[in-house]
Amino acid sequence: MPMYTGGQVLDLETAVKDGILGGGGGGGVICDDVTTPNLGKLDLKKMIEQLDSIEVPSVFICPISLEPMQDPVTLCTGQTYERSNILKWLSLGHFTCPTTMQELWDDSLTPNSTLNHLIHTWFSQKYLAMKKRSQDVQGRSLELLEVLKTVKGQTRVNTLKELRKMVTTHESARKTVAENGGVSFVSSLLGPFTSHSVGSEAIAILVNLQLNSDSITNLLQPTKISLMVDVLNEGSLETKIDCVKLMGILFAASDIVPSLSLLVGVLRLVKDKRHPHGILAGLRLLKIISTQESLGNSIISIGGVPQLVEMLPHFNSESLELCLYVLKVLSSIPHGALALKNCSNLIPNLVKLLMKTSENCTKFALSILLEVCKLSPEESAATAVNAGLAAKLLLVIQSGCNPELKQLSSELLKLCSQNCRASIFISKCKLTRTLQ
Amino acid sequence: MLDTAVHNMGLLCSRHKRGNQATTEENDRAAEIERRIEQETKAEKHIQKLLLLGAGESGKSTIFKQIKLLFQTGFDERELQSYTSVIHANVYQTIKTLHDGAKELALSEADSSKYELSADNKEIGEKLSEIGGRLDYPRLTEELVQDILKIWRDPAIQETYARGNELQVPDCADYFMENLQRLSEANYIPTKEDVLHARVRTTGVVEIQFSPVGENKKSGEVYRLYDVGGQRNERRKWIHLFDGVSAVIFCAAISEYDQTLFEDENKNRILETKELFEWVLKQKCFEKTSFMLFLNKFDIFEKKVSKVPLNVCEWFKDYQPVSTGKQEVEHAYEFVKKKFEELYYQNVTCDHQDRVFKIYRTTALDQKLVKKTFKLVDETLRRRNLFEAGLL
Repeated sequence: MPMYTGGQVLDLETAVKDGILGGGGGGGVICDDVTTPNLGKLDLKKMIEQLDSIEVPSVFICPISLEPMQDPVTLCTGQTYERSNILKWLSLGHFTCPTTMQELWDDSLTPNSTLNHLIHTWFSQKYLAMKKRSQDVQGRSLELLEVLKTVKGQTRVNTLKELRKMVTTHESARKTVAENGGVSFVSSLLGPFTSHSVGSEAIAILVNLQLNSDSITNLLQPTKISLMVDVLNEGSLETKIDCVKLMGILFAASDIVPSLSLLVGVLRLVKDKRHPHGILAGLRLLKIISTQESLGNSIISIGGVPQLVEMLPHFNSESLELCLYVLKVLSSIPHGALALKNCSNLIPNLVKLLMKTSENCTKFALSILLEVCKLSPEESAATAVNAGLAAKLLLVIQSGCNPELKQLSSELLKLCSQNCRASIFISKCKLTRTLQ
Repeated sequence: MLDTAVHNMGLLCSRHKRGNQATTEENDRAAEIERRIEQETKAEKHIQKLLLLGAGESGKSTIFKQIKLLFQTGFDERELQSYTSVIHANVYQTIKTLHDGAKELALSEADSSKYELSADNKEIGEKLSEIGGRLDYPRLTEELVQDILKIWRDPAIQETYARGNELQVPDCADYFMENLQRLSEANYIPTKEDVLHARVRTTGVVEIQFSPVGENKKSGEVYRLYDVGGQRNERRKWIHLFDGVSAVIFCAAISEYDQTLFEDENKNRILETKELFEWVLKQKCFEKTSFMLFLNKFDIFEKKVSKVPLNVCEWFKDYQPVSTGKQEVEHAYEFVKKKFEELYYQNVTCDHQDRVFKIYRTTALDQKLVKKTFKLVDETLRRRNLFEAGLL
């Protein structure tokens, strides 16, 4: 028999089925939890936890804690609260209804069994649907993995595509694939004769899975890495980003020397102004491999330094920090410092960046400037001062930033003042004679 | 005179009338030809030109033969038979080279007795060397085969063969010597395998047009593959082919790091390949051309690397072996690959930013491998076309 509350129909099944309570899906499941309240409560707690990202109807929420109610009780004013919360409220000495502010004429707490029932039903329904979806996903992923072992050609590509979609959207799919030897199987698909379509999908799958050290070692084989580099160089933006991410994971765990083709590919990604995501992903990889000794010489040999310097004004703050880090590492090797010095727009670009974004950016920029100026003091100092370096350095020294930065700044300032004619220096600093 | 004039006038008139008819006919024909030319030019645009380049004996012609076998009708019986004389020639040339080589080594080496043929074989050796020096070779008979085998099995010749890298012994030597009996049979028709091993110095240019059939049996791109002679004197003919090339397949035989050129015994083959590759890369007409580098003869490389260190070649002098066996082979291969990669990027300018460059490990004699490799090349070129059309 339908019950009316403020003009709304609150027939259990209808309410849930028609989505009055904000839930979708028909076929309400009515659980008989009245006889086993304790068990019901435990289940409910678990379900609420597992469904924590779901949007719960407002009538289920306790006004005090803003959490779903597990034991709703109603006051004499007709307002419903979570039992433990309202008891706490009353124990603090309040004798009012928290929401209506009315004084309570009756201190009894009536268990709201109707609401309790509704809450339980709603959560059970949602929970079961979630479980089913998850099982579906798990089942399907397993199926796809099995199918992959037998098919070739275009079917293989399509199967991989579907598996990739599952793995990117569902945590349960990722778990299933990982637990059923998916990592080693998909890795085995990568080899010297893998086509681009297969390679790009396989990489997209692997990048979403947890890789243990064995898998990583397996994937670090030269032929597999060569394939990843090829896919990187020929792929769409998403594929490039996947490759770069995967290689980041692999290279972080080893001291493999990146090939020139890889660096060329990454640089190409980093220079693509239309796609800041790509730039960021590429720079992240560069940072990871910048610890490699031979990297410096490799990047220089492919003309990477001027390309990176040219891009400096176009980076967002996160990318900028990564790029400056890499340039700083390069500046500490002799060839690197030379290559940097030879970039005519290096100093102006760097000076502009000082104190503009993060402290780290300023720190790295200062280190680079120092190395370059040390290399050719007169020439670089003059350029730097002309670009307005002196004023910036004073700003750094006077600001409240890290002492390391101040140290760098004063060193640089000293270098510049030693190599610049005093008058020019002063005028650029906008200092008066007295301060000198 | 008047009637001549009238006669001529008449002739004139009729010629004029015939002229009209002729003109329309001519016009039609001309229009037809124009249409045909237009059609063919359009069709030509869709044909992708592939160029097989590389130094002599790098495997270009073998790849060419493989493509013919894979994507065309292969070799018919007549074509197969045409290779018989080539194969026999290869056999004679091998024996002659080895015999004369043994003589030279016997003179120059301190340990000359190693390279001295046994007494019985000396005469046979001279006879075969004389045959090998002729322009026309006799057919391989049972008797000649026996002679050849006697020489081949002579320890002096085997010792000489071990130093084959210093001579110009063709790579097919082993294969043909092993199959000698079969090659000499009266009704011998060369097999595909035999044809692939046969060595003929290509001169001039050879071309085939083919379409690699995809798995859906839909015809893909149309390719026209050009094969050229690799020796120095042949290279001046290359320039005529350099226009409108979609991809250059550059073959480099990585197993020849301890060998010298046929046309210049003082030049190391790998160094020659290196310089040639650089030269090709710098050609202006190849600015947008995709480069597929085939590091060929991997099967021979595999076996050689454990016996002959890579550093005998000046370009590879900084090579350091790290292990042994299969791992070492892989390590050596990666080293060579890296060298070529570095070479490529040293010769690249900002004009070449977008140029496709891929390296493939090949063994041209292995048909399955060539098929798989070409599938990848085809995929790359197709993607490249889509990319250039802005569809990727």
